[in-house]
Amino acid sequence: MAKKQFLLLASLLLVLSVFLAACTGKDDKKTGDKEPAKGKDEGTEQTEGDEEADASDELDFPLDVSNKAEPMEDGELTVGLVSDTPFEGTLSSVFYNGAPDAEIMKYFNESLLAYDGDFLITSEGAAEYILSDDKKTITLKIRDGVNWHDGEPVKASDLLYSYEIIGHPDYKGSRYTFMLENVEGMAEYHAGTTKEISGIKVSEDDKEISITYKTASPSVMSGIWAAPTPRHYVGDITKGDVTMEELESSDKFRVNPIGFGPYKVAKIVPGESVLYERNDDYWRGKPALKSIVQKVVNPIAVIEALKKGDIDMASIPVDQYDKAKELDNVELLADIENSYTYIGFKLGKWDEEKKENVMDPNAKLADKRVRQAMWYAMDNATIGKELYHGLRYPATTLIIPTFASFHNASIAAPSYDPEKAKALLDEAGYKDVDGDGFREDPEGNKFELSFASMSGSETSEPIAKFYIQNWEDVGIKVQLTDGRLHEFNSFYDMVENDDPKVDIYQGAWRTGVDPDPAGLYGRTSFNNFSRFTSEKNDELLEKGTSEDAFDAEYRKDIYNQWQEMMVDEVPVAPTVYRYYIMAVNKRVVNYSIDNSSDLWMYQMGVSE
Amino acid sequence: MLKFILRRTLLMIPQIILVSILVFMLAKAMPGDALTGAFQGNPDANPEQIEKIREKMGLNDPWYQQYGRWLGNAVQGDFGQSYVHKQPVTHLLAGKIENTLLLSFFTLIITYLIAIPLGIIAGRWTDTWADKIIVTYTYFAFATPIFVFALLMMFFFSFILDWLPYSGSVDIKIETGTWDYFVSRARHLALPVLSGALISTVTTIQYLRNDMIDQKLKDFVKTARAKGVPERKVYTRHILRNSLLPIAAFLGYEITGLIGGSVFIETIYSYPGLGYLFIQSIQTRDFTVVTSLVLISATATIVGTMLSDIILSIVDPRIRIE
Repeated sequence: MAKKQFLLLASLLLVLSVFLAACTGKDDKKTGDKEPAKGKDEGTEQTEGDEEADASDELDFPLDVSNKAEPMEDGELTVGLVSDTPFEGTLSSVFYNGAPDAEIMKYFNESLLAYDGDFLITSEGAAEYILSDDKKTITLKIRDGVNWHDGEPVKASDLLYSYEIIGHPDYKGSRYTFMLENVEGMAEYHAGTTKEISGIKVSEDDKEISITYKTASPSVMSGIWAAPTPRHYVGDITKGDVTMEELESSDKFRVNPIGFGPYKVAKIVPGESVLYERNDDYWRGKPALKSIVQKVVNPIAVIEALKKGDIDMASIPVDQYDKAKELDNVELLADIENSYTYIGFKLGKWDEEKKENVMDPNAKLADKRVRQAMWYAMDNATIGKELYHGLRYPATTLIIPTFASFHNASIAAPSYDPEKAKALLDEAGYKDVDGDGFREDPEGNKFELSFASMSGSETSEPIAKFYIQNWEDVGIKVQLTDGRLHEFNSFYDMVENDDPKVDIYQGAWRTGVDPDPAGLYGRTSFNNFSRFTSEKNDELLEKGTSEDAFDAEYRKDIYNQWQEMMVDEVPVAPTVYRYYIMAVNKRVVNYSIDNSSDLWMYQMGVSE
Repeated sequence: MLKFILRRTLLMIPQIILVSILVFMLAKAMPGDALTGAFQGNPDANPEQIEKIREKMGLNDPWYQQYGRWLGNAVQGDFGQSYVHKQPVTHLLAGKIENTLLLSFFTLIITYLIAIPLGIIAGRWTDTWADKIIVTYTYFAFATPIFVFALLMMFFFSFILDWLPYSGSVDIKIETGTWDYFVSRARHLALPVLSGALISTVTTIQYLRNDMIDQKLKDFVKTARAKGVPERKVYTRHILRNSLLPIAAFLGYEITGLIGGSVFIETIYSYPGLGYLFIQSIQTRDFTVVTSLVLISATATIVGTMLSDIILSIVDPRIRIE
């Protein structure tokens, strides 16, 4: 379940993006993002706005390790899994919840497809893909010599098995997504009326699988589920060998899980460490390392453990970044995370009957000039610099820079400008009539906003207070909902259910790997917590995933329009984008956190 | 005596049921459930699916119905399935309880091994330099938050001296069951146990010291001295025996703490046990785990109290219950 991940994330402030690691074929290194501080592609991303220029200047981190030596024979590596909780150890791509579990899976498990720097599938993985002319059917052909760790070949029906589990009426995880439901026959299978998914066909020799979708969408290029589950090993739920409960609690996912990745799981000490051994049968070639140990390290001990050489690599929590800079045996790599923080403005309600968002024309924040003004009033650069050591910087649009081809870097998004904010408010008719220092609404009534924000980290409170001060500076009176921060569950309880106590809220999204924003901002999306809708929005979102949008230029143009519209309408104001930092011992070679890198995980090694 | 134990045991049943109802109600009163915010990491998830799971898990039913179901299964030894960990709660707890019991048991032993001698020394030779050192130590131990102390210990013994490991319960590379394996476990236990023990000695030392000073002035001690009983015997036979009473009575309660473990110690030393599981399960609203853990510790508390009473009646004939 994702919540857990989020908790982790919130509390560590880092650990990140990892979310789709399990399904990310290019499992060399950190999942993550690409298009970074030292962008490889075009580097245009660095130019967002002027005021954060100095912040990003400091952050000129490499994406690849500088040690270019040959990896030594039979090297051994220790990886720190930075977390203040034990990992859950549900090591299955269909069942896992927590980000730490995904971090573990990437060493022994991979997706059949590889991904490029834009998170789009490539044929460089364990399978090649062919897209049909009508773009509705994708066929995956598994290479010869791709075997599970127990020696059995990886079969097309193993991938089918993942679909059969996730779509199963008894499945209780969160992976049953719109993408999966779009598979022909999936809805019927999910409802339990059919035993087979009509849209998925497996070839005679069990090496080819073709998946047909109800509607063609470019989302398939990043969102297709391609992580198989070893049917022969874990037991077949469709034949009744195991029940869903037995399957999800099986030791075959916890004690001795198998995959077809470069390393095999040799041993697991539950909740604290995993020992991997080289998989000599790996389809790409012989992995460079003899063994890898991955162990949980509390964030407070990371720096010392790295310094001592006890662990060779670890992600660095933001608050330890300053100390990490001083270590001379490690190198820091950094990249932009697949996430952003934002301030949302409640503009309507979720209509449970119609299953869609409905805007309220009388909402307190119905006037977009007020929302724009509030964005202008926020000094995000200072937050990034003072509270996050420059590891966060002002966000501009809702399609983040990691989607290099779709992020609109030239957009004129509001940046800190209190005078402009005041002008906008004046223009909208919000003036201080009674002289108490705060503006009243155009009818002269008190204008007070209630702001919901989450607790959980040391910076939660200062940030909330800082924004409230920012808004006060332009004359908008904002108070914390209930006068305090809310813990994760209460916060989402209020925000998801459109609690009238919440006018604005601070949230964060991880974006996944598909640039399509419909899941977060669509008319029928429950996750569209601001409840913003418009015809133009519907139209653009639909076009963005239409058959035409397989043409990258067309899609880019649509998403540019969408980003501009969202910057103008401001149903939510993105506040900061985030960097994550990976510390790597200087003896590590062939390692990169760049998604578009040509390095694969099996090549990673140590030079001494 | 037997009757007393039997009566207390029978009394436990309604107590535990009451506690479980309370816990269940309170747990349900917390905002959110295991699926709240489930979209945060997975914006593409289908909300209808989430709603369906809620329905399937019975999370939409009123609490008393959920409680009835849960109780029905619980008496058959089935504490349900953890949503977060995707396995039966009994299985989940079984995997963690060993670590926690080891940690708490050794912490308790070391605590007494340190505290009782120190308490006796301080009590017997009051106002000597030894007493002053011991009292100063208890002040420090009392004033130091355990997480600060555990960190300092880790920094000193693991990172400066490099004597002991700073995380986990065992070195994964060592084969399970060998002699080296036990050594490795012991070495991994050392810091968490010492950190916990050095801090938790305070009450015992102070109790013992104060009580001995009290007893020293009692009439029966004067009588013993007047009769010419040797000073050593006055302490061992007369004073100590009485002063140890409250400590013995406390033992039962200490056993309660065995289950809970220490969240701080477990977290700082990345030592997977029940303590952290509890906090984590509350945060993620993993109700089945929360209720089971609370129930276990409630049971332990009730049993512990009973044990305290029994121990007391054994060591102190004056209050033996008829």
